[in-house]
Amino acid sequence: MNFGPVPGGPGGPTVFDPYSLPSDDNVNAYTFCVELKGSQWFLQKGKMISYYGRIEFNGVGNGRFDRLLRTSFHSPLHASDWVVAEGQGKMLLADRAFDVNSYDLDNGNLTIRSGNLLAYQPTLALKQSIVPGFLTLIGTGKFVAASNGPVVFMEPPLRVDPQALVGWADCPSPCHHYDHGYMSGVMGGLRSLSGIGGASGEEHQFEFVGAGTVLLQSSEMLMAEQAVGAVGAGAESAGVPGAGYGGGQGGPLGQLGVPRMPGQLGDIQRRLGL
Amino acid sequence: MLAVDLTGDAVKAKNGSMVAYDGQMAFKKMTGGGEGLRGMVTRRLTGEQMTVMEVQGHGTCFFADRASEINLVSLRGEKLYVESSNLLCTDAGLRTGTTFTGLRGGATGNGLFTTTVEGSGQAAIMSDGPAVVLRVSAQYPLSVDPGAYIAHTGNLQQSFQSGVNFRTLIGEGSGEAFQIRFEGEGLVYVQPSERNTIGGDI
Repeated sequence: MNFGPVPGGPGGPTVFDPYSLPSDDNVNAYTFCVELKGSQWFLQKGKMISYYGRIEFNGVGNGRFDRLLRTSFHSPLHASDWVVAEGQGKMLLADRAFDVNSYDLDNGNLTIRSGNLLAYQPTLALKQSIVPGFLTLIGTGKFVAASNGPVVFMEPPLRVDPQALVGWADCPSPCHHYDHGYMSGVMGGLRSLSGIGGASGEEHQFEFVGAGTVLLQSSEMLMAEQAVGAVGAGAESAGVPGAGYGGGQGGPLGQLGVPRMPGQLGDIQRRLGL
Repeated sequence: MLAVDLTGDAVKAKNGSMVAYDGQMAFKKMTGGGEGLRGMVTRRLTGEQMTVMEVQGHGTCFFADRASEINLVSLRGEKLYVESSNLLCTDAGLRTGTTFTGLRGGATGNGLFTTTVEGSGQAAIMSDGPAVVLRVSAQYPLSVDPGAYIAHTGNLQQSFQSGVNFRTLIGEGSGEAFQIRFEGEGLVYVQPSERNTIGGDI
């Protein structure tokens, strides 16, 4: 009998060892290999699938990473989702068999959906974007991001579906665009009142103008993301910042109906038992 | 999708995984994984159940399961350890059995037992995304997240590695608290995705 076709040439699948694994590059479209030489990488929890060598994983929090966090981690809301990997060896990163790619930033900035970012070098600084649910990376270095399907790069001016948006670089003004014409007039009024024939699901887009690059994924399926700031996105408006505002906010104060105040440290006080 | 050319011989495959065939095929369910009464009792006791059918005939038979990736493993007398849920198809000449895995099984959420495939021939294992094959040698032990492990071959010792410390208890866990450490000589198959495991969030 014959099992076929055999992938990866006559010898069967490629077997990797610590030498043949690439350094800071993709192993295949779904797996990325990071080489650590006494250096550190920030890593989203649970995305490491295996490693060679001695690597330690430590949660982001108070303690020995204070200096590192001061320069390259400015998102207390996400503190519980990130770890610092440190040591010698090569580790493999992957996320639910989604496409994984690395990107180099050279003294630049890039904003990305929080659930899509897998790992980054501490030479980059991670900050929360003022667009809820997104994180901004500033500086020089490499980061690894996952996307559902390959990433497509587009140039503004551009309107994109909120669910397909992965991130953007150097664009000064992302904003909402609402297709008002469709919902106005006699027929539009009927549509919006009755809901019949109304929602095509495409009345709402993000609009980008100015110079820069917009990153899109070729699927509208969202990766699990953290509800950050004011996003209480319901199922019908997933990924749309501001939709369902006031409902479903995280944190003990959110449950009481109190919006998160500026300067408040996310949910860190809850984790410290305050 | 896996295509198997048959010339009068047989393969064992996961029950219901045939999607198409041409030629003449006969499908026969093998009670108890085709391991006889003893195998049946063992599988029932260990919870490592596997419903297997035997496919015999002339032509090409196509197997697939939930669009998962299929990886072929050629065995020349060595033993393949694989979770029964990840095993799609084997040559009929390969012996399958059950073995105790120790603590690792508890962490992967797949029970304390695993399936072994032994003999000479080919086996097809499934993974969520194409598996990466990693070599383990004496100088280079490998640590694997329990949720990403699917199979291994060769003479490997597994040990359970835990990074739980006081920080885990105050809610600053690393998310990578449990790993399986493989030492010895062999190959480990990992998938680019993680199952939900008991220790996964710690």
